[in-house]
Amino acid sequence: MTGLEPAITVHDLGHAYETSAGRITVLDRVTCTVLAGQIVAVMGPSGAGKSTLLCVLGGLEPPQSGSVTVVGRDLRLLSSDQLAAYRRETVGFVFQDFALLGQLTALENVELALTLGRVRRGRRDRAKELLAAVGLAHRFDHRPHALSGGENQRVAIARALANSPELILADEPTGNLDAGSTGAILDLLTGLPRDHGCTLVIVTHDPVVAARADRVLLLADGRIAA
Amino acid sequence: MTWRDAIALAARSVGRKLGRAVLTVLAVGLAAALLSSLLIASTAAQRRVLDQVSDGGPLAGIQVAPAEPDPGALDSDNPPRGDPRPIDDNALREIAALPNVDAVVPIVANPAIVVPPPDPLPGADPRRRDLTRAGTFEPYFDTVVGVDIAQADDLPIAIIAGRLPLAGAPEAAVSSGYLRRLGIDKGQADEVVGTEIVVGAPRGFVDGDDVYVRGRWVRLLVVGVVAQELGSGQVLVPLGEAQAARRWSTAGVETERFDIPESPYTGLFVVAHGLDRVPAVRQAITDVGYSTSAPETLIESVQRYLRVVEIVLAGIGVIALAIAALGITNAMLAAVRERRREIGVLKALGASNRDVRRIFLVEAGTLGFLGGIVGTVVGYGAAQLLAGVVNGYLRSQRLETVQLGLPLLLVVAVVVGSTVLALVAGTVPAQRAARLPARQAMGDR
Repeated sequence: MTGLEPAITVHDLGHAYETSAGRITVLDRVTCTVLAGQIVAVMGPSGAGKSTLLCVLGGLEPPQSGSVTVVGRDLRLLSSDQLAAYRRETVGFVFQDFALLGQLTALENVELALTLGRVRRGRRDRAKELLAAVGLAHRFDHRPHALSGGENQRVAIARALANSPELILADEPTGNLDAGSTGAILDLLTGLPRDHGCTLVIVTHDPVVAARADRVLLLADGRIAA
Repeated sequence: MTWRDAIALAARSVGRKLGRAVLTVLAVGLAAALLSSLLIASTAAQRRVLDQVSDGGPLAGIQVAPAEPDPGALDSDNPPRGDPRPIDDNALREIAALPNVDAVVPIVANPAIVVPPPDPLPGADPRRRDLTRAGTFEPYFDTVVGVDIAQADDLPIAIIAGRLPLAGAPEAAVSSGYLRRLGIDKGQADEVVGTEIVVGAPRGFVDGDDVYVRGRWVRLLVVGVVAQELGSGQVLVPLGEAQAARRWSTAGVETERFDIPESPYTGLFVVAHGLDRVPAVRQAITDVGYSTSAPETLIESVQRYLRVVEIVLAGIGVIALAIAALGITNAMLAAVRERRREIGVLKALGASNRDVRRIFLVEAGTLGFLGGIVGTVVGYGAAQLLAGVVNGYLRSQRLETVQLGLPLLLVVAVVVGSTVLALVAGTVPAQRAARLPARQAMGDR
């Protein structure tokens, strides 16, 4: 289910890192468009620039050259504070290793996203609702170490959805999961555009995951190969 | 992110590395304890020294003598007196109405024949028996001093046993000089309380060519012992009793056997509105025409010296706190290093640089606040322990002990000071955390 409007427009995006060995170009004139509601898988070998692309799309790093527009926002023009606002209002992240805060319970981890999202009232109820929606109504008070990998990723997905983002960025979301959990998490993730009206970009090495996408972007040497 | 949210999150973060947090809090706590115990001890010592200098009375106390001022020695703490000049009710009212005068306590002294209990009291030093004849104490000439008991707090009187006599009651307090006369040590002052003395106001009668002395005798219950003597008297009574004795004595004829003061009031004790107003009040009383004395120069010198001691002690405490603050900086920098990923994740979730800085500052402030509370409690305990040792020594030397207080201002200053210092110490780590790139959310890839 896709909309006709582009959610993401990337034009001539370039990105490089300075290292002791010299300058390394990780993205080289990348151009692509993702329509709203689309599920896009980004694939490619290690070092191809997948994670950097995700960082730029997610506002974790400003684009160095070229332009990136996400749901009408030109990321080049955003200040540090505006990028933070963009991240909390527009983007939801799902990480390979879940990136949950170990000292917080599942409920508190989801609530944290709402807190950082400047939600003042009803945070607890909203967090419970989100956890229940990913099938964790019985795990509110469990800390990450007491949950399975699949359950932790469900908490991470609930957290990513906390502020009703228009774009979900998932970095190898099934990379740390067993086969049984992988299917369930994929079902959950690929259902997000349908259920929440968001666009989903998944970085993955897994062809099974890519097979569930509407479209696959293949990155090689910092360029879109296909 | 609100401060409340930041505090909730910081509390969780502090609790995560409990061992490190406890050690950091202890470091701050020990430094704060050192600072607070030094300040508590120095405050107590300052109070004790100033009490000693001012004889337990107000620091801004001025003694007014029934004499004219000596124009050549007005700037001295204790100048020589000029010619006698009686202090009457008009003078009292005039002085009370002067600017910067808080209170005026009239003092009436009258000669008296004091008859102590005949038998030596328990604990009396047998070596002082030279004051007795046939094993009993003899009556002796002394002075009774009367003051308005309701204003006793304004007088340089320190009670070492019992209480002051009640106005209108046949009661008296005796001085430490009376104890010495009876061969009793200050530490056994309680032995005197509850005994009775007979006091006679003398009056001269003419019988032919001879002058005889008759007494107005009153039996007084000794209810307390004071450390100082007001004037030269060893017996302190309510003002009314001294005035009655004086009326009796002045109604007789003059005799060489005793000296009746000419002045209705043998002195005034004036309390100025602060030590800094003492010179002005003394000058005003001088202008009225009376000689004054006050230990203002001595007190100011002592205060200056004590202030220096206090500053040195506070300096030691502040250095300790500064070292503890470095400990906080170190612990917080370690936390930032360890939590780079977490900081990145917070930023990925939308935390601004300001949010991250606030979280780490609150963490530092929490450590400082807890350390301040621990330090105040431990410091007070340490000061009490120190006071116990010091008081043991003072008691062995038959000296008055010191009493410790825990001023609310000190508690607030130490807790707030520790918190502020921790916030300052946490500034660099918080700034470093805030500047970490959001990309840290993806790990160190």
